Amino acid sequence: MTTNWKRSWFTVLTFVRINTKRFFRDKTAIFFTIGFPLIFLFVFGSLNGSNSSVSFNVALINNSDSSFAKDFAKSLKESDTLKVNQEVTTLDEAKEKMSRSELDATIILPETFGDTQQGDAYPSGEAKVVYTQNNTQSGTALSSILQSQFAQINQKLAPSVSPFTVTGEELNENSLSAFDYTFAGLLGFAIIGMGIFGPINVFPELKKMGILRRLSTTPLRVWQYFVSTMIGQAVIGVLAITIMFIVAITVFHLQVVGNWFELALFIILSIMMILGIGLALGGWAKNERQVAPLANIVVFPMMFLSGTFFPRFLMPEWLQNITAFLPLTPVIDGIRLITTEGAHFINILPQIGLVAAWMVVIYIIAFKVFRWE
Amino acid sequence: MTHMVEVKDLKKRYGDKQAVDGISFTVKKGEIFGILGPNGAGKTTTLEMMETLRPIDGGSVKIDGIDVKKNPQGIKYIIGVQPQTPAFQDKTRLTEVIEMFAAAYGEKVDAMKFLRDVDLEEKAKSFVEDLSGGQKQRLSITTALVHGPKVFFLDEPTTGLDPQARRHLWELIEKVREKGISVIMTTHYMDEAEILCDRIAIMDNGKIVAIDTPRNLIDQLLKRGFKKKQEVQQASLEDVFIDLTGKAIREGA
Repeated sequence: MTTNWKRSWFTVLTFVRINTKRFFRDKTAIFFTIGFPLIFLFVFGSLNGSNSSVSFNVALINNSDSSFAKDFAKSLKESDTLKVNQEVTTLDEAKEKMSRSELDATIILPETFGDTQQGDAYPSGEAKVVYTQNNTQSGTALSSILQSQFAQINQKLAPSVSPFTVTGEELNENSLSAFDYTFAGLLGFAIIGMGIFGPINVFPELKKMGILRRLSTTPLRVWQYFVSTMIGQAVIGVLAITIMFIVAITVFHLQVVGNWFELALFIILSIMMILGIGLALGGWAKNERQVAPLANIVVFPMMFLSGTFFPRFLMPEWLQNITAFLPLTPVIDGIRLITTEGAHFINILPQIGLVAAWMVVIYIIAFKVFRWE
Repeated sequence: MTHMVEVKDLKKRYGDKQAVDGISFTVKKGEIFGILGPNGAGKTTTLEMMETLRPIDGGSVKIDGIDVKKNPQGIKYIIGVQPQTPAFQDKTRLTEVIEMFAAAYGEKVDAMKFLRDVDLEEKAKSFVEDLSGGQKQRLSITTALVHGPKVFFLDEPTTGLDPQARRHLWELIEKVREKGISVIMTTHYMDEAEILCDRIAIMDNGKIVAIDTPRNLIDQLLKRGFKKKQEVQQASLEDVFIDLTGKAIREGA
């Protein structure tokens, strides 16, 4: 019995060794498993990473020639919060741009703005914020920003007592940045890429050429074939994901606070689970035409609803409740919790449990539907 | 002497077509047995049932006393299979192909020895996709023998090969037989069957219509009064071809 067991594993490990070598000789495979997710990482990383503070696109129409109005216009242009469009000088132009949502709002300084009224010691005026119906939110936000700026100026010009004030304080703690969510999602995307798209492309080809059929005349068992694929895929997957982490840390300043060992284990478990979906689909399909539609039905919901490209908390609650059970959701959540929140296995037991449960279900199906030809 | 292979009343049905209709034959140890017949006669289906690739509808196949239907996993250890069109995963070196097939049987072998057996040792480090058709056939034969099988199946092994490569393959098959392995092959080429096979079965419509040595089958036909219209030539066009181009196997063949 023990010698049988040893021989079985010798079979598995020989397949792993040679197939892993084959992977590194195949430039197309290397590109799709390692290069392709990296491109996504760079695209999404630079989309999110640049600037996370809110800003408004506005036009400024200054009809006044008072010195106060000029100073005020200048200070608006230097502000971080506002991006003043320099090309727009009339209200009609501004309206056209607002109708296309290129501008959020328009600030109008009337002719009398900044003039000193008779009998007053200081300048006064009323700025007008114009916005379209669709942009009510930015319009009101902008109004209150201007309001508070004026309040500061008013205080200087006409000092009075302000019994109640508000000050903001930045906490010394990091909250999750958009990139943290994106990165975990990108890892999920990479895992789907190698776990599902790999087998569904390779298996029909192997069947068409009769390679699997030839193997089926040897005593090789389906489980040996599956396990050798799982180990090989885990090795390649960990390598690909390590490269993604290195890029994310060095280029996009990802901060990993979790335990690397737990992270690696969780990722390996996830790769094997998702690979099961690929093995089930590719193992069942007789040819490419059979597998493509089914793969789309399985992959696309996960791709868009598991938090791959945008976080799940943006979804309505009922949808979140459903998508929480998709196979990829606990993978992405688990990776994010370990990476950015420093969670340990004990904290992410629900995620581990769900991944393990899916693993059992998926592999039972994969074994049942596998065909050598 | 006991039989290595015993086929009894073997049957296979596809829809309403009886592909194999109750055939029986035996193959001795170290014998080359040919199955001949037109396309669709049931040759390949017969082989596939014996190779555990197709479920057996009726009858039985016993190889070295093991029943194919009852113990397919046991059968796999004692048979070697050469498919009609050998194919291998690309980006694999020849030595690795041998190692993988041996590993499928849980065995570790000297890959070079098996490549030497089929004159492929110079190609040992090449990738399989760089081999010619004839070289792939030879590699496929040696991979089917890595575990020392007792019965070796070949399905139309020389289809598409040039005369030199064919002759080379015949020599290889003879060598396999010399090791005491029983060879069961299908072919469309009568000259091949006549030269190579100790006995042949001719199949048509799922049945065996004749089974004997090639010599006896020819004699029986002559006894029935058959005469060829032409006088028998002392040499064939193939003899001319081989005389002009030599027997040596070609680079890349």
